[in-house]
Amino acid sequence: MSVVDSPSAPPAQQPSASAPADGRARRRRRSATSGGFAPLALTLPAMLLLAGLLGYPLVRMVVLSFQSLGLRQLFGNLAPDNVGFANYVKIFTNETFYQVVGRTVAFTVVSVLLTLLLGLGVALLMRRVAPSVKIAMIVAMMFVWAMPQLVATQTFRWLVDSDFGVLNYLIDLLPGVDFANHSWFADPIQGWSVITSIVVWAGIPFIAITLNAGLTQVPKELLEAAVVDGASAWQTLRSITLPILKPLLIIVTTLSVIWNFGLFTQVWGVRNGRPEEEYQVLATWAYSTAFNNNNYGLGSAIAVVTVVLLLGVMAFYMRQMFRIGDVD
Amino acid sequence: MKRRIAVAATLAATLLGAAACGSDSDSGGAPNANASVNGAGKTIKVWLMVDAQSGWPEVVKQANDRFTAATGAQVQVDYQQWTDHLAKLDTTLAGNDVPDVVELGNTEMPKYVFNGAFAPLEKSQFENSAQWLTGLSAPCELDGKTYCVPYYAGARVLLYRTDLFDKAGLAAPKTYDELVNAAKVLKEKNGSDKQFSAFYMPGKYWYAAMAWVHGNGGVIAKKDGDKWAGALSEPGAQAGLTKWAELAKTYSSGDPTKDENDQDAVYAQGKSGMLYGNGWELGAVQEQPKDPNNPASPKVKTKVNGKVATAPLPGIPSFLGGSDVAVTAKSPNADLAAKWAQIFTDAKSQEGLIAKGVLPNATSLLDKAAAVKGNEATALAAKETWFVPMAPKWSDVESANVLQNMLVSIATGKATVPDAAKDADAKINEILNAA
Repeated sequence: MSVVDSPSAPPAQQPSASAPADGRARRRRRSATSGGFAPLALTLPAMLLLAGLLGYPLVRMVVLSFQSLGLRQLFGNLAPDNVGFANYVKIFTNETFYQVVGRTVAFTVVSVLLTLLLGLGVALLMRRVAPSVKIAMIVAMMFVWAMPQLVATQTFRWLVDSDFGVLNYLIDLLPGVDFANHSWFADPIQGWSVITSIVVWAGIPFIAITLNAGLTQVPKELLEAAVVDGASAWQTLRSITLPILKPLLIIVTTLSVIWNFGLFTQVWGVRNGRPEEEYQVLATWAYSTAFNNNNYGLGSAIAVVTVVLLLGVMAFYMRQMFRIGDVD
Repeated sequence: MKRRIAVAATLAATLLGAAACGSDSDSGGAPNANASVNGAGKTIKVWLMVDAQSGWPEVVKQANDRFTAATGAQVQVDYQQWTDHLAKLDTTLAGNDVPDVVELGNTEMPKYVFNGAFAPLEKSQFENSAQWLTGLSAPCELDGKTYCVPYYAGARVLLYRTDLFDKAGLAAPKTYDELVNAAKVLKEKNGSDKQFSAFYMPGKYWYAAMAWVHGNGGVIAKKDGDKWAGALSEPGAQAGLTKWAELAKTYSSGDPTKDENDQDAVYAQGKSGMLYGNGWELGAVQEQPKDPNNPASPKVKTKVNGKVATAPLPGIPSFLGGSDVAVTAKSPNADLAAKWAQIFTDAKSQEGLIAKGVLPNATSLLDKAAAVKGNEATALAAKETWFVPMAPKWSDVESANVLQNMLVSIATGKATVPDAAKDADAKINEILNAA
C-alpha cells in the first residue's frame, strides 16, 4: 500500500528497504500503463481463432444480407447482385416476421422462467438432501447435460410419436381417455409444450449446479439467525438467499435468454426438418429461407436482425460481468 | 526404305496417341457417353437415393461392374436421404469437389436444370430415349437441350387387405363410390379398435391429395400468359380436396401432421384396411429388414404378409413420381459420368428394376412391367398420370411446404377446404412468380 501511496518516499532513509520498494513501484506503474507486448501476445492466438471462426463468417453474412444470392450464382460461380436494403425492407414489411419474433420472444420468456424456477428448486433441494442422494442427483444431471441436443430431441420425438410412441400408449391406458394415435403436433400449443419440455429438461442441470455453487456463498450464520428470529422458509428465501444470489441469477438468466432465443435444433428435429408455420422461430426461419428457398441474401438479413435483437441482452450481460469483476 | 517405315510408324503412333488424347478431353461441348475413355485409376462419384440401396442394390452393382469392365474406372456410390439431399447438393455444387452423377426426383429437377447445375447430354446416346415417359423426361428439357436421363418411375395404386375384404364380403373397388363404401363397411366392422384406419391417409401426403384434385378435374396451378396462378380454389380442385379430406378425417386414424414416410411401417402393424402407395410398397409392407438400421439385413415377414394386394385406385390418376440422373456441369470426368448414366439407364438395367416392381423409364417397356406379378396395377396406373406444373420455381413451392401445410390445416380441422385452398393459392402465386 505504502509503495503506491507514496511514490516519492525518500530513498535515503531506508536504502535497502525502499530501493526494492521503489523499483517495485516503478515496475507496477509500467505494467499498469503500457503493459508491454506480453498480454497482447498471449491473447493473439485466441483472437485469431475467434476472428477466423466467428469474425469472418459474421462479416460475410452481413455483407451477404445486402446482396441477392441464388442458386444460379452459386452454380455458375457468378458474383451476387448488390440490392442495398431491399432484403431488410422485405423482412420488415412481411407479416410473418412479426409473428416469428413474437413466437420466439414468447418461447424464450416461458422457457427461461421455467428453467430458472425448476433449476433453483433443484439447487435448493440439493442443499437439503443426504450426500449420497446429492451425488446421485449430480450424476443424473451430468448425464442430461452431456447428452447432445439432437439425440435428446430424437428421443423425445419418439416418446411422443403418434403411432409408435410410449407416451400415447401409457396415457391411453387410463380409463376413459382415448389417446391412441394422438398427434402431439397438430395443435401448436401441445407441440410447443413438447419442445419447451425438451429445452427446459436440458437446461436444468446447468442452472441447478451453478446456483448450487452460488448457494454455498450464503452464510450459514445468517440463515440460523433468521430461523432463530422466527422467519419462515419462504421469508428466508426471499429476504436472504435470493438477494445474495442476485448477481449470479442475473448472469444465468441472461445466458439462458441468449441461448433460448437462438432455438433451432429442437424445433428442426421434432418437425423433421420441415417446421410448419406455427413452429417457425427466428433461427429456423432464417435457415429455411436461406437453404430451402435458396434465398441466401434474405436468410442472412434475418440472421443479422436476430443478432441485433440480441445485442441489447448481450450488452446487459457484459455490464453484469464487469460489475461482478469490480466487486471482487 | 527402313527409315521411311520407321518414320511412318512413328507418325502413325503419334497420330493414334493424339487421337486417344483428343477423345479423352472433357472440356468444352456436351459430355459424350460414347467416347472411348480410358478410366484406369479414375473413380467417378455417384449420388443415388437410399431407395436404390434398400430396393434394388443388384441393379446398381451390375451397372457398376459393366461400367468398370468397359472403361476401367471405379465407381463410388454415396446414398443420400430424401430429407436433406437438396441442401447438401446446393452446398456441394457451389464448391469444386462435385459428384459426377446425381440422382434427383423428377419434381426437383427443373430448379437445377434452370440454374445451370447440369451438363447437356446427347439424347440419342441413351437407349429408348424416343419412348421416355413424359413425366420423367419433361423436367430434363430446357431450350431444346436435354440435361438429365430418366431413371425409374413409380405410380401409386391402392393397397388393400385381402383378408379384411373377404371377411366383410367386399371385392376390390372398381369405382370411387365403391371405394368409399368399402371404407365405411371396414370402419363399421373394425371400428371398435380405436387404432384402426379403414383407409390410412396421413395429413401431409400431398401426392395423394393432388391426385384426388386431378381426378376431379382440377389442377394445382395454371399458366396464364407469362404468370402462374394457383388453381386450388377452382371447383374441380375443391371437389377433389373435399373427397380427400373425407378419407383423411373420417376413415383414417393416422397422424394428421405426418407424411407418408412412415406409412409402410404403420400398415405393417395390421391395423389399417387400405393404403395409397407406390408399387414397391407392396413388398415393403409385407417384409421388413430385421435390423431397422441396416437395410441390408435379412428380411422378416410382417403381420400382414400374404394378406395384401394392389389394385388401381378407381377414378384417381396416379402421380408419375420417379427420378432422373444427371451429369454435373462442373464434373471433371464428364464423359465417364455420361457413360455410367448410359449404362445405368439402358434396357438391361431397366429389366432389373422391373423385376423389383419398379416402373421403367420408357413406354415401350411398360408392357413388360405389367407382366411382372403384382405389378399389373402400377403399370396400368402409369398409363394415366399427372405431373406437377412445369414451372422453374416449382420445387420452391415444395420446399416451402405450401401444399403440405394446406393439407394439415384441412386434416386437423383448423381451416375449411375453401379457406385453406385460398391461402395456398396466394402462396403459390407469390413463389412461382417471384423474380
